[in-house]
Amino acid sequence: MKAQCCCKEKELTQTTLAELPIGTKATIVGISPRSRGAKKFADVGIVPGTELLIEAHAPFGGLIRVKVLESSMALHRDDAKCIILKEVEAVNA
Amino acid sequence: MRKSFRIALAGNPNCGKTCIFNSLTGARQHVGNYPGVTVESKSGNFQLDNIDIELIDLPGVYSLSSSSPEEAVVFRELTKKGIDLIVNVIDSTIPQRSLYLTTQLAELHIPMLLAFNMSDDAKKKGLQFDIAKLEKYFGSPIVQTVGNTVSGVKVLKDKLSDALQHLDDHGVPMLSYGADFDDAISAVANKIDELKIARYEHIPSRFFAIKLLEKDTCVMQISDFKPAWNEVDLQITHLRDKHAIEADTFMADRRYAMLAGACRDTISSTQEKRREISDKIDLVMTNKFLGFPLFLAIMYATFWFTFICADPLMGYIEEFFGWLGGVVGMYWHEETLPFLRSLIIDGIIAGVGGVIVFLPNILFLFFAIAILEESGYMSRAAFVMDGVMRRFGLQGKSFVPLVLGFGCTVPAIMATRTIESERDRKITIMVLPFMSCGARLPIYALIIPAFFAQKYQAFTMWLVYIIGVLVALIGARIMKSTLFKGDGEVYLMELPPYRMPTLKSLMFHMWDRGRMYLQKAGTIILFTSIILYICNTYPEKKVFDKDYDTAIAEVQENGQLNTVDIALIESAGILSAEEMAQVKADKAIPQDVLDSYFGEEAENAPQINELQQAAFDKAQQLNDDIAALENARQAEVLENTISGRVGKFLEPVFQPIGFDWKITTATIGALAAKEVFVAQMGILYSEGEADEESDGLRAQLVANYTPLQAFCVMLFCLLSIPCLATLAIIKRELNSWKMAFIEAGALFALAYVATFIVYQLGTLFKIGTTMLG
Repeated sequence: MKAQCCCKEKELTQTTLAELPIGTKATIVGISPRSRGAKKFADVGIVPGTELLIEAHAPFGGLIRVKVLESSMALHRDDAKCIILKEVEAVNA
Repeated sequence: MRKSFRIALAGNPNCGKTCIFNSLTGARQHVGNYPGVTVESKSGNFQLDNIDIELIDLPGVYSLSSSSPEEAVVFRELTKKGIDLIVNVIDSTIPQRSLYLTTQLAELHIPMLLAFNMSDDAKKKGLQFDIAKLEKYFGSPIVQTVGNTVSGVKVLKDKLSDALQHLDDHGVPMLSYGADFDDAISAVANKIDELKIARYEHIPSRFFAIKLLEKDTCVMQISDFKPAWNEVDLQITHLRDKHAIEADTFMADRRYAMLAGACRDTISSTQEKRREISDKIDLVMTNKFLGFPLFLAIMYATFWFTFICADPLMGYIEEFFGWLGGVVGMYWHEETLPFLRSLIIDGIIAGVGGVIVFLPNILFLFFAIAILEESGYMSRAAFVMDGVMRRFGLQGKSFVPLVLGFGCTVPAIMATRTIESERDRKITIMVLPFMSCGARLPIYALIIPAFFAQKYQAFTMWLVYIIGVLVALIGARIMKSTLFKGDGEVYLMELPPYRMPTLKSLMFHMWDRGRMYLQKAGTIILFTSIILYICNTYPEKKVFDKDYDTAIAEVQENGQLNTVDIALIESAGILSAEEMAQVKADKAIPQDVLDSYFGEEAENAPQINELQQAAFDKAQQLNDDIAALENARQAEVLENTISGRVGKFLEPVFQPIGFDWKITTATIGALAAKEVFVAQMGILYSEGEADEESDGLRAQLVANYTPLQAFCVMLFCLLSIPCLATLAIIKRELNSWKMAFIEAGALFALAYVATFIVYQLGTLFKIGTTMLG
């Protein structure tokens, strides 16, 4: 269970997509292997190295809207917790 | 050169494949601005320089993996033998994301033609492409298209015939994944080559090797590859140990790295501010606080548009059919072919006409849905509603199918394919029949204006729809916590930029649905109307319990107006000279004349003295007595027919929910298609009426039923299975007859119980047992 160990370390020191406020930009450094959606995310460009812009939060919690590779994707907060980011920078919303 | 070719259209969701498909083949497949409009492959034919081309429109996918039903469809179609060329449609406003699929298609090593679609939008965004360089990268010709205009697709046709002549010397490249990975791929590929699988010999084993290393579901399901699994596991362990990463995402990383390089070299952007308008609209539309109220307002506007705006048009159609029945009745003499005459007037015109009257509703409803679909609002609504839906065991992606369910349940059930989570998808399918579909609309539109005062009409309509929605949500909640427990899938949904719907395409969509409705009226409804007419007419009653003719003659003799009465009526001075002449001849006042002065629609009550009033009352009494006898005779005739017998037989079952035998037969007919309910009531209440001035079905209903019964009819129709087509599609999508029948049975039981409770409580508390308003 080598992979899981290394992921836990990361989680301790890194921010995840679920924590970022609207209007911030960040680069993905890793996807937690626990995530069911690693492949699905990869298909739309959510892979280490891509830049995300957090665009909006849906009413009643739940969904987060991010811009990735020029298109807007909505994903769920639980899944967003598996996306690990770095280089947080705020931009004008 | 060969004479025929098979070409597949592949690309991301919502990149305009179907638009191009329609432009090339002249087909009229449905397009919309949200991912997942096309959920199954469709094929069409067209000719290009005397070559026959079969074009296959595939569902949109982000990659060639197989984690959703659509992806499985694409995978199957593309790995089948006989695809000569893939036209890969690229949304050129988001080239990098779109080209990800291209890198995987390339691995199939089938000749490709890249269509950089929406090139007009890309230009507006300030994107510039070095086409020559891109062509080299992908080893395939590239053409810039605008899918929704004729000229934008012509360039594609030109390039296509060119590409078809060079199928054998295509230069589709093989992407390198880096030394270690390429070794692993080769090792697996060699194993596959050894297996010599004839079915897949036209596709490089390298493609399957990569898919196996990615643990792709579809490829893992192909038993032919089983002998290679050992090698695959070995290689995965090896790669994981060496690179400390999972093979499946590494493949994706490499593809994106290659793309990033390619795009940096070939695509430049001149403008920084992009999609500004669309983003600004979304600041409001998907706002945390405004999003939900705006959604409710938009839904309200949709229904207002459907019901209020279509109303005047329906009046015209109703008048037309009334007129048509009258004209046919007038020119077709009663004694020539009386059976056929009656079949046409009472069966077909009353039955089919009764259904066609609601065409404007259908057209307006689908026009409104088309606006929501093509503008891109549907996916915003899904985004806004996700939180609410989740509380009921559904999710945002269930939302679009549920709204489509207001149109027709069948395509709505198809649309559930975009839901990745099998559990959520099943639940959505099971509750979809509660979304009141367009075919139930005629029932409400017939009943509501008849029984409910103007000011309550909109509310009642709204109430029926809301009941459906609530039952759907509660049903979903219950199913989630009982039948379908377990984990959901990862949720990922694209929100495409807003687009202005073109009027042409809206009209197109609207007319398409309208045409289907008319087709249905001209086929199923026509057919069932004839069957129902026969069931409603035969066997004919020859011997009656009572001699009605004598009884009527007696009543006429005893109750007719005497000279004093006639003098009184004349002295009142209300009736015209012509009418008076008629009264003197008949010794009675025709009912329509009485109604025109004393009926509900009379402007103001005439000023007459008591004696005069008594004379008029006597005339009214006479008419009523005769009508009662005629109704009794009519009832005896009807009850003797097949419908009557079946209805009478089942009446004890349906009586507790407020249905008489007529409604019962209409409800049974409505199992085939809900509109049949209206047709059957139309036929039942027009028989024996055609020679007279028909009162209209609504007036007949009001005379025979209470508002409570009317409401119960609507409730029952809302909750029971919409039609046989729905049952068939549920079977297909859940792949189980058992589920389909359980669904139908459960819906019937629920409809019965709910209606029973409402009717019994209503009767007990005397709610709606008398006319309202």
